[in-house]
Amino acid sequence: MVGLGIPAPPLSHMGGVDGGPPHPCTPSPCCLPCPRCAQRLCSAAWGDTIFAVSSGHGRCGVAVIRTSGPGSRGALQSLTGRPALPPPRVLALRRIRDPATGEPLDRGLVVWFQGPQSFTGEDCAELHVHGGPAVVSGVLRALGSLPGLRPAEPGEFTRRAFRRGKLDLTAAEGLGDLIRAETEAQRRQALRQMEGELGRLYQRWSNTLTQALAHLEAYIDFSEDDNVEEEVLSQVDATVRALEEEVGSHLQDGRRGELLRGGVRAVIAGPPNVGKSSLLNLLCQRPAAIVSPVAGTTRDVVEVALNVGGYPLVLSDTAGLRDATDPVEQEGVSRARDRLREADLVLAVLDAAAVPTEPAGLGAALGSLQPPTTTPCILVLNKADLLKGNGGSLRAACAQGHPLPPVTLLSCKTGEGLDRLLALLARELARLCGDPLSGSPSLTQSRHSLHLRQCAAALARYSRERRSDLGLAAERLRVARRHLGSITGHVSTEDVLDIIFRDFCVGK
Amino acid sequence: MLLRGCRRRLALPRAPRPGHRRAGSEVGAAAAPRYEVVVIGGGHAGTEAAAAAARGGARTLLLTHKISTIGEMSCNPSFGGIGKGHLMREVDALDGLCGRVCDRSGVHYKVLNRCKGPAVWGLRAQIDRGLYRANMQKEILNTPLLTVHEASVEDLLLTEPEPDHPGKCQVTGVVLGNGSTVHAGSVILTTGTFLRGMVLIGLETHPAGRLGDQPAVGLAQTLEKLGFAVGRLKTGTPPRLAKDTIDFSGLQERVADNPPVPFSFLSEAVWIKPEDQLLCYLTHTTLKAQEIICDNLHLNNHVRETTRGPRYCPSLESKVLRFPNRQHQVWLEPEGLESNVIYPQGVSMTLPPELQEQVIRSIPGLEKAKILQPGYGVQYDFLDPRQLTPSLESRLVQRLFFAGQINGTTGYEEAAAQGVIAGINACLRVHGKPPFIVSRTEGYIGVLIDDLTTLGTSEPYRMFTSRVEFRMSLRPDNADARLTHRGFEEAGCVSQQRYEQAVKMRAALEGGIATLKSLQFSISKWSQLVPEVPISSSRRLPLSAFDVLRYPEANMELLARAVPEPLGKLAQWRQLAERLKIEAAYEWCVENQQQEIEEVRRDEALRLPEDLDYFAIDASLSSEVREKLDSNRPQTIGALSRIPGITPAAIINLLRFVKTNHQKAEGLKALPQTGKYLPGKMYSEKAASQRQISAKFSEEKQEYLC
Repeated sequence: MVGLGIPAPPLSHMGGVDGGPPHPCTPSPCCLPCPRCAQRLCSAAWGDTIFAVSSGHGRCGVAVIRTSGPGSRGALQSLTGRPALPPPRVLALRRIRDPATGEPLDRGLVVWFQGPQSFTGEDCAELHVHGGPAVVSGVLRALGSLPGLRPAEPGEFTRRAFRRGKLDLTAAEGLGDLIRAETEAQRRQALRQMEGELGRLYQRWSNTLTQALAHLEAYIDFSEDDNVEEEVLSQVDATVRALEEEVGSHLQDGRRGELLRGGVRAVIAGPPNVGKSSLLNLLCQRPAAIVSPVAGTTRDVVEVALNVGGYPLVLSDTAGLRDATDPVEQEGVSRARDRLREADLVLAVLDAAAVPTEPAGLGAALGSLQPPTTTPCILVLNKADLLKGNGGSLRAACAQGHPLPPVTLLSCKTGEGLDRLLALLARELARLCGDPLSGSPSLTQSRHSLHLRQCAAALARYSRERRSDLGLAAERLRVARRHLGSITGHVSTEDVLDIIFRDFCVGK
Repeated sequence: MLLRGCRRRLALPRAPRPGHRRAGSEVGAAAAPRYEVVVIGGGHAGTEAAAAAARGGARTLLLTHKISTIGEMSCNPSFGGIGKGHLMREVDALDGLCGRVCDRSGVHYKVLNRCKGPAVWGLRAQIDRGLYRANMQKEILNTPLLTVHEASVEDLLLTEPEPDHPGKCQVTGVVLGNGSTVHAGSVILTTGTFLRGMVLIGLETHPAGRLGDQPAVGLAQTLEKLGFAVGRLKTGTPPRLAKDTIDFSGLQERVADNPPVPFSFLSEAVWIKPEDQLLCYLTHTTLKAQEIICDNLHLNNHVRETTRGPRYCPSLESKVLRFPNRQHQVWLEPEGLESNVIYPQGVSMTLPPELQEQVIRSIPGLEKAKILQPGYGVQYDFLDPRQLTPSLESRLVQRLFFAGQINGTTGYEEAAAQGVIAGINACLRVHGKPPFIVSRTEGYIGVLIDDLTTLGTSEPYRMFTSRVEFRMSLRPDNADARLTHRGFEEAGCVSQQRYEQAVKMRAALEGGIATLKSLQFSISKWSQLVPEVPISSSRRLPLSAFDVLRYPEANMELLARAVPEPLGKLAQWRQLAERLKIEAAYEWCVENQQQEIEEVRRDEALRLPEDLDYFAIDASLSSEVREKLDSNRPQTIGALSRIPGITPAAIINLLRFVKTNHQKAEGLKALPQTGKYLPGKMYSEKAASQRQISAKFSEEKQEYLC
């Protein structure tokens, strides 16, 4: 009922190739702790509304996401973008959008249950969406950004139903076991996650924050009578500031975890007639794009989904970049440039036979292709089979690397250099996605990122309120601690007191 | 000896009820007096309990060893502090005594945590021991319906249990030291450290509840025979010093507040002139003290003994052992206006007296100090408070209530808080009314009693603000709004005068907030009116006076100067002005906590039957969970979910079991009403909608799960 299930395995084939519409899986651009959102969420005056995937985890055709609480009506209106709700208990087909960005998430069936005629007796909504992890996480993320909505705790739907007298005895039979199984699965999943690098990271934050909170509480409760010095407070301030930064930058990293669900978006770009479409066909091992010796063959963007080294990759072939005169080609070039801006990774293709051999010249050729950005890039020098005498010096330039991005020579015609390109690709992908096993920790759960964002927002508020009212500031730390606790396990008052009495000499 | 509550002659014993049988004693039945509530013990819990029961309308008898020690402050000469001051305000809101008496007996009033925000202000005062005792005795001896009797209690009178309540028997009275009996509708035990109390100084031990006072042994045996689980705790008190032998010249002074802030909502001001208040002084221990203590551990039974010690440091010995090589604070506190006694707060110890003198004389300022009474340790029995319901009635013996240190707490204020609740409930029980429970969403009293009765304790339990989840809502300033109305309407323990005052304040607050919210100007206008307040220009237009008041730089005086009409008269009423400011500053946060508060309250409305045999029931529960349920016996799903190690699955399984198996059981016992006045919405204009919510859930409140 809660949580997002196990991170999806890398997909070898993604929607868009085998018929279905491509899942709009680009995560919301708002990965940063968004103080505005947090503020809206906190100042919501309504009762709280919970949401969760209620159709089991892992890959499935359709996922059901359920909300319960007074915010259900607003949530359904925001996500469907329509003020009118469908009639109660009737399925309706709706386009589901992220209310913050307007970005479409999916087309799916929605049902509106007006309380008390619902599972929990409260207002409820159900969204039946495509079961891909990208869609599900997108919808959950959108729900989590709405005021007054939060992920459900284990068993919470059932307890709400209980409170409202909604569970009759037959329905209640076996429910306990169901929840036991569910919490057990969650526990195992949480354990698996907590064993890893990410788990250790969260645990460390949790310990740091608990200690800071305990010290602040000690300062509030004991500084006037016992030996709790003023400097304790400045240490707490410093700890909170450092933690806030760390959580913040981790959240900016968030894309990596999200990329794992949707796939890295790589764009093949370059001047006309250097073999971009041939490269696409070579990589997906089928003639997905039309190739011809005529410059400007490719007009529209051609997209395929691949699995490279275990990482999902969405590869786009684009029109050759040149000042075109043909209006259709102009449109193609403009689309190519759009794609280039949104790309996670650029495969810049140049004609090996037509480029300067010294690195500086290579750089200039690349620069003419792509304005300097921070987007990672692999420079592919195609048509290596056509190289004659000067092949040696070009090879040397490729090996030297430095001011250039990774460079490789390739012949789409003979397949020469493909292995090296794939290795380079896999390396870049690993860097972008974060290696789940050995790489840097990455966010894999929307639930986690929701709590982390709210934790970071509360930490920021601490710093702002610290000077005016220590009680209020402490409240922020408690809120931050609770959000972190939703990931790592909650800490009781007694645990906090343990730290206080361990670290400070508090008298009778 | 019988001292009677002066004004009224008490009703004489009624005929024993049918089926009544004496369990413990052979003594004359015919003449045994009968009271509705009998309170054993005249300490801080006992006095509050007796007075609360009498205020509620019960004919009450207070039994104490010595009338002259009623209101004795056995340990520190101060009341209140951080967390403890909150409790006192709540006791006062229920018309309890200690706040009022302190306002007539203090010699140094000081609000702690002044710069940390009003939610954590700690009202505190040094109290003149003699004055406090005298004022408390005057109060107790003049309470209508309350009789005080000097006697020891040796045994309880017991009879068959009432069938519709859990418990293996019920108490019907007490047997006194002289063999006579007193019949009672309810009995409250507030015997403090006197249950098998043992005083320790150095290697010497002797039985005593307090230095010079006999322990209660017979009662301890009775409780044990009845099957109460008893634990042992220890505490201690420092030596007392002669003021005229102390050199205060080099020590740091602590000056009292001017003007002093009273504890009671009824007090306009305290009795003492601000300038007449006494000073406190701060000094520190030196490493010499550590040396003496460490060299003489073999002479110190109290510190070595295995009785489970608290995590904090109750004695100087534990401080130097656990935090060595540092200076420890010693506050030198006056014991009274005329008193030559100084109480050195922070140096409780149980060393032999001659070594105590060495330790004291190693402290700057105390080089020549004379010890008037050595410090000593006390070890005593306490009852596992998990055997009590939240009304502080025992589950084992019907109509028997416990309050104070006997439940494992430490501190006058913790004792007083339990005393009020036990007194109210003993009275309600006799009158056949539903219990009066303060929820942990409503007050520190609720947190204290919920922690004790749900989780128990393994060290003397002391109130801290860090224990309180809803600290922003449960503030010293609004205790009356949280509790006085309920105390008047449900418990009947609040005087008409106090109730009317609370009603008036509440109306003034509601009106004031409405006025402030309706007064709206543009930001630029506000910036002209109150240039002192740095209003952020990113705010939406327009801004209400309430929004402006929220800024730390703003206060009612400032606003009233800028907009005399209509704010002038709000600012004139000082208490109102201060409270409006606090309401504005905390509105946001309190509203925020509201959801959580409601969540907790909904879980508290789901009640579990009290007589479940957790080992026998056919529900899918692990043996570990069953054990926890059996020892903690949570009364509600709310309490259940606070027990460590209880899983969501266990909660659902238990709910299901209870619902399935107790569906037809009668006994929709009226539920204790908690949280009728939710702190967050106490004064807001949403008060009406809040009442609606309460009404919506009141149906659930009736849903007794058995």
